[in-house]
Amino acid sequence: MTTTTAIQASMRGEHALPLRPPSQVMDLERLGAMHQSRLSFMRTLIRRIMRERWAIEPIKFELDADGYGTVIYEVQAPNGLYSFVLFSDYLSPEERNDRVIATKWDLTMALVEGRVEADYLEQLRQNVPKQEAGRVDARVFVLSRANRSARNFDYVVEQLANGQQPDIERIKNVGYLYRTTAVYGSGKLGMADWEKVRTKHLDFARPFAGEMFVCLMLRNFSLLQAEHIARHRSPQRFQPMQDEIKRYFGIGNSTGLGMAPYLVNHPLLINQWVEMRELALARIRALGCVNSRVQQELSSLIERCAQHTRDTVTEDDWQTDNNRQVLEDLAALQQHTAAGFDNWDALLGWSEANCSLQGQEMLVSIALEIYPELVDELEDFHSAEENLDLDPLMPLQELKQIIETRYAWALEIDFTAEGARETCWYRSEEKMEPRLGSVADAEAKQKQMALGVGYAVSKCYEQLCGYIAEHPEHTTARFMVARPKMRGIVRRIQSMSRCVYGDIQANLLDRNILPMHLLRCKLAFFGVGKFDPRSRLWVRNTMFQGAPLLEDIGKPFSDDWFMPLAPLQSGQH
Amino acid sequence: MNISMNELKAALRRCFEASQYFVGNYEDAANMILWLEKHGLNGLGELQRGLPYIDEDREKALSSVIYEDSTSAIIDSHGRSALNCIAASVDLAHAKALENGIATVTVHNCHNRKFILKALTDRGRCGISVAAYWQNGSGPVTEHAAAIKAGERYPSYSEATTDLPASTDDKQALTIICSSRVDLAVSLQASKGNRNARHISAEQVEKNKQQSVESGIEIAPDLWDEINRIGAGVLVENSELSRQGAGGR
Repeated sequence: MTTTTAIQASMRGEHALPLRPPSQVMDLERLGAMHQSRLSFMRTLIRRIMRERWAIEPIKFELDADGYGTVIYEVQAPNGLYSFVLFSDYLSPEERNDRVIATKWDLTMALVEGRVEADYLEQLRQNVPKQEAGRVDARVFVLSRANRSARNFDYVVEQLANGQQPDIERIKNVGYLYRTTAVYGSGKLGMADWEKVRTKHLDFARPFAGEMFVCLMLRNFSLLQAEHIARHRSPQRFQPMQDEIKRYFGIGNSTGLGMAPYLVNHPLLINQWVEMRELALARIRALGCVNSRVQQELSSLIERCAQHTRDTVTEDDWQTDNNRQVLEDLAALQQHTAAGFDNWDALLGWSEANCSLQGQEMLVSIALEIYPELVDELEDFHSAEENLDLDPLMPLQELKQIIETRYAWALEIDFTAEGARETCWYRSEEKMEPRLGSVADAEAKQKQMALGVGYAVSKCYEQLCGYIAEHPEHTTARFMVARPKMRGIVRRIQSMSRCVYGDIQANLLDRNILPMHLLRCKLAFFGVGKFDPRSRLWVRNTMFQGAPLLEDIGKPFSDDWFMPLAPLQSGQH
Repeated sequence: MNISMNELKAALRRCFEASQYFVGNYEDAANMILWLEKHGLNGLGELQRGLPYIDEDREKALSSVIYEDSTSAIIDSHGRSALNCIAASVDLAHAKALENGIATVTVHNCHNRKFILKALTDRGRCGISVAAYWQNGSGPVTEHAAAIKAGERYPSYSEATTDLPASTDDKQALTIICSSRVDLAVSLQASKGNRNARHISAEQVEKNKQQSVESGIEIAPDLWDEINRIGAGVLVENSELSRQGAGGR
């Protein structure tokens, strides 16, 4: 078991491991090329559940023949008892909308501390289905909703009711029965704050663990509900779904712009996630033993990733091109390593010279997959204290030097160039949904969110240089009294300079900014797959595809559901 | 009504952003109010008193240093709320204390000075001891003191009603003492004329926090509505074009 001190020693100083540099890692396009890995939050949650053998049992299962009603699961984890409460209601096709601005859903859910008694259930029933229009209390710590993938759901029910299994080829196209359209935690709508979850609900004390758990439970329920409806429709002919097909069903997810501001507004947390992933890679680079087992495993994972990519269906040209490029990269990688390879450092170097960013990052995820003994313990170090503290004593010359070294990328941007500040990010009065606009819209420009970190740094640098010319001996504290408008960015510069990786290196105000990279970066940390961009601004994807079922808890567990493949259907070879 | 700490913080940030506070300042202001309320020190009551005036500060001059030497400074805040200027004063005291062992910064013409407690706490967490003292009001005059030891997470706070005569000048003054060498602790003297004295220890402040973390924060619906009404100033009017811009089908 490692420690914070050991991790620090691996990242800085004489005994630091060979980490990739921030200029490489924090480049937005590379962050947007990341894939799921064994440090992704879905993987770490499943490991915890399986290793600790959580007991998850339905204690209320009141669904009518059409699958509408109320379900409660009790979740007994080592540190506490929780309840997962789900309401299933009729939704007409015309009311089904995946956007944040929707007001009704097929399913609504809550994760609650302790046991849910009748009166509390009634309170939840009055509020959870309303989502943003309702209020809950601090016993609730995750709230979510989901919509049916109507065609897939009806098809699966029909098949099971007729005693048939779903056609795998069809599930490859859409690998889920429901899409979750928002998962809320961290104090939204009256829920428990993260501070409470982190300190009291230790079973969920990792970033987004509660949110991921609700998606996992939704996935489980979606299968159960489909079987329930099919059984009622045709009790004689009904056949349950085979477990290996069930495991191939994940849960769909639609993610829009809301995630993008999160990445900018939580820089210390994002840095921590990146640091752990990069430390894992550096450990492998320096310590990863290469033998015939590793060579074989690498080859097998390359093929698995290629097949997974071939199975990824998208109508988006950009993503199609990315997937085609990844397939070429994986083929080249397979060929390059066919005669064996000596060490990871050389292989990673080869990929940087010969593969696309997506291909390079795929190799990183594969490398992590092969060495659980070097990687898995880092899952306990993904939280961060998010205080952007000012260092008041820092001499201004030092502050200037930090900007010149850590934010060289920002100083290199010509913000006077056409289009360099054309994009603005703002909140709509419609549910405060984050939106992207142009500075040509005067109201959007005036009310834009402060996400242009690079621009703010360059303005700060300009003011700092002028101030230093007059007061070279002053400290940061004195600068802050004289230039209070710079307080936010100076605090950020100082705090992020204490991190190994720091800020995301991109001009988010640029006309050509691709928010998709931000969304994909966060989703990769979550562990989703099957990216299917529906526009420049939102993406569909699949969560928990290939993950164990609730019924698998307590059985032998191989933790091998990385880049899952379709099971062979009866009759296939 | 009951809200979470995160909801309060987010709403306050929008409120101060809409009131033209600078980036960095609107986070500070939200955190200062939340900190007091979360720790049982009536941050929302303080806010309610200051809320009608929050958008007046945009017209006022920025704080200026009117005297300075190696161990002290006097800052004129020109009638601003502590919410948008006091953190920089505490930072200056901190920097001077690190250089010289101990420092004093006096701030003049600053309102809502109780909000300094969050700034004190941040400095304590960063390994320095800070104390602050101020008087308030005119009939009667109250006095207030707060302090945190180096490396601690929670300050103590004292307040009392006095029979002191109202001063004709510097009604809105605050003195900050900061030391990198000495752990400062303050308690108001039980002097003749002090009444309704209240001392809240660092331990009690911590206990108050635990209650807020467990159950969230109670807020008057009117105040909550008013914070959100002001904060709506950062929201952009909806249009079909912007709906599509967010990624609609």
